[in-house]
Amino acid sequence: MIGAQAITDFRAAWRDWAKADAPRFGYLAKVLIACLGAMWISILFDMGQPRTAMVTVAIVMQSHSGMVLAKSYYRLIGTVAGVLAALLLVGLFAQERVPFLASMAIWIGICTAGSVILRNHQSYAFVLAGYTLCIVGLPAASQPDRAFDIAADRVSEIMIGLLCATLVSELVFPKRIGSVMLDSARRRFSDFSVMVASSSPDDAGYRSALMKLMGDIFSLEAFRASSVLESDDSRSYRLRLGRMNAEFMEATTAFHALGNLLQRQRRSGLNATADALSGIYRKIGEVLMPGGLPAANEREAAEAAARLSTLRAGLDAELAAARKGADREKIDFDVGADLLGRLLDDLMAYARTYAALSRKRNDAEAPSLGVHFDPLAVALAGMRGALMLAIMASIWIYAEWGSGIEAVTLGVVSSTLFATSPSPARTIRQFLMGALIGTAFAYWTNFHLLNQAQGFVMLALAVAPGIAMAAWLTTRPEGAVVGAGFFIVFLMHLGFGSAYSADPAAFMNDVIADIFAIALSGVLYALIDLGGSRWTRRRTVQRLKSLVIGACREPMPLRREKLEIGARDLVYRSGSIRRIADEEDRIVIEWLLHALEIGHAVIALRELVEQGGDRESQRLVRGALESVALFFESPSEKRRLAALRALEAAFFGHDGASDAAGRKVRLHLHFMKVAIQDQDSVVSKEEAA
Amino acid sequence: MIMPREVELLGATFPALVPAFLIAGIIMLALDRTFAISGLYRRVWYPSLFRFALFVCLFCGMGLVIY
Repeated sequence: MIGAQAITDFRAAWRDWAKADAPRFGYLAKVLIACLGAMWISILFDMGQPRTAMVTVAIVMQSHSGMVLAKSYYRLIGTVAGVLAALLLVGLFAQERVPFLASMAIWIGICTAGSVILRNHQSYAFVLAGYTLCIVGLPAASQPDRAFDIAADRVSEIMIGLLCATLVSELVFPKRIGSVMLDSARRRFSDFSVMVASSSPDDAGYRSALMKLMGDIFSLEAFRASSVLESDDSRSYRLRLGRMNAEFMEATTAFHALGNLLQRQRRSGLNATADALSGIYRKIGEVLMPGGLPAANEREAAEAAARLSTLRAGLDAELAAARKGADREKIDFDVGADLLGRLLDDLMAYARTYAALSRKRNDAEAPSLGVHFDPLAVALAGMRGALMLAIMASIWIYAEWGSGIEAVTLGVVSSTLFATSPSPARTIRQFLMGALIGTAFAYWTNFHLLNQAQGFVMLALAVAPGIAMAAWLTTRPEGAVVGAGFFIVFLMHLGFGSAYSADPAAFMNDVIADIFAIALSGVLYALIDLGGSRWTRRRTVQRLKSLVIGACREPMPLRREKLEIGARDLVYRSGSIRRIADEEDRIVIEWLLHALEIGHAVIALRELVEQGGDRESQRLVRGALESVALFFESPSEKRRLAALRALEAAFFGHDGASDAAGRKVRLHLHFMKVAIQDQDSVVSKEEAA
Repeated sequence: MIMPREVELLGATFPALVPAFLIAGIIMLALDRTFAISGLYRRVWYPSLFRFALFVCLFCGMGLVIY
């Protein structure tokens, strides 16, 4: 019997290994094949620098083939743009180094700014267009008559690297993003169901879970953008995933608004109302998870959607029954009832889209995410890139530094590449660590292995350990940046072109230049810190407020999705979602949720009044919104009271209205009043501080 | 039919294989789209190998026309 036990143990261990570690080894094999393939082809074609092709492979290799394709595509575009700019600059001022370097700095500044504005791979293309100018322009400027050859060589090497990386990742154990996306969409639906069912929204414990789910929205969007090039899953499928993302956002906002409302009611002593509302709310949870299990696939989601719609059909009757148990002020109950209806509608839409995920018909159109950014932050990032080049280049010129080109190039690479990371200073420390390990490995490879190597096979054997080690590091989430530093520095220092050409003195000079450059860019990141500083958070909050103010004041009412996406994008860019543990970042998120809550009410109110309302009600509502906007502009007790008074006036102005629209207007006005009255909201906290 | 082996662009000569590569790529994109929509890829044993092989056929076919 012990034997049988051992076999089952062994099987379980084997399954674990196949699930967790085997993909890692597969990836490692892929990187090795692609890298050595690129090296082989470059040597075969007698390229000057096989390492450029290898670095390219190192940069674009990822575990999912769609990501590799997308990244390669943008790398190609970025490189071509950078090379063209380099040729232009060399043609214009090859003899004049000051205007040459100045225009280079401007170009790099523009590219870095572009990379901060855009997302994902597009942003990466901008980074590349920036530093390719250094890689090509600097050597070309020192020998202008060979500029075109250098440029053509570099483009060919990069092409070889890209072809190897994409072919290997498509042909050897391809892994599709499509399946990963489906998995994460499923997981999110069930996580959200569990959250709705298990947490009562009137305690604040659900918040951190909600925020983690919200961070997913953008990472799923990144996957979605990359899957465009993996064309064997259909376009409608991607559209539906995007639609699901949007619906999920709306559902979380409704959920959060309801939770806040219930908490406020409890604080102001309306316990009976809050109890009546949570009683009905609990039914939603039961319907989402019958028997305590959330929907795990499309079929079960369809069932959940059907159950939700029966609940929705009977909702009005249940609400009417529960209304009797509420406190005397029925308007508070009505506001909650309206929110419950909205949450149910959003959940239903979400579940339906999920259920239709694998159907073939194309009926869903997702709103695009658009681009939202803080112009000042972008300008600063651009300045940082340009400044880095200016500093390095002046040191290079005045000190007549032999490894100046190396230092300038790596400095620009490291000061632009991490501009979008949530905390660049930490990222650059890890990168530096990787660079140090990579240097040690490169030394060992260059002076102990390569000088004994003869022929391609031995060359491959000599470089393989370094490549494998770096690739292994990049497979682990905590070592990804270390691995990247290792990989880039290791490959850049490999001592062979078309023949063995390692020289210890030159090697040491280059190493010192590299480390100096990375350290300097670390200093610049610390000085111009756009990620974690208090200043950035204040700017983000300011922009969130101005979204609300815009919703109040703009001549045309904003679209709901616009507000939703704009606000979330701002917060995502500031990186706060990814540092949720930090107290100050949590305040940013609180602001996001508060701005969304108020913003949605404002938009709904304006839609109602500006379509159907008469003159008088339009005047009242506009006055109330103006005072709300004033309150958000600079929160103070006086302005809060003014806003409350104006809301009250508008509320009583609609007192006589008995039609559905009039009642809705009153509900929204009351909701805003309660939210602004709240002593615990972020606005009140800021006011107190 | 004999095609020129080199093409000239802005005073620099490129092997004619470069535009051939680009054209093959464009044709490939069109074919890829139609195959994905018609569901052919679901019937193929190893779709990525199929796509790669298709591209090689296109490109090499053009290369044979040129040389």
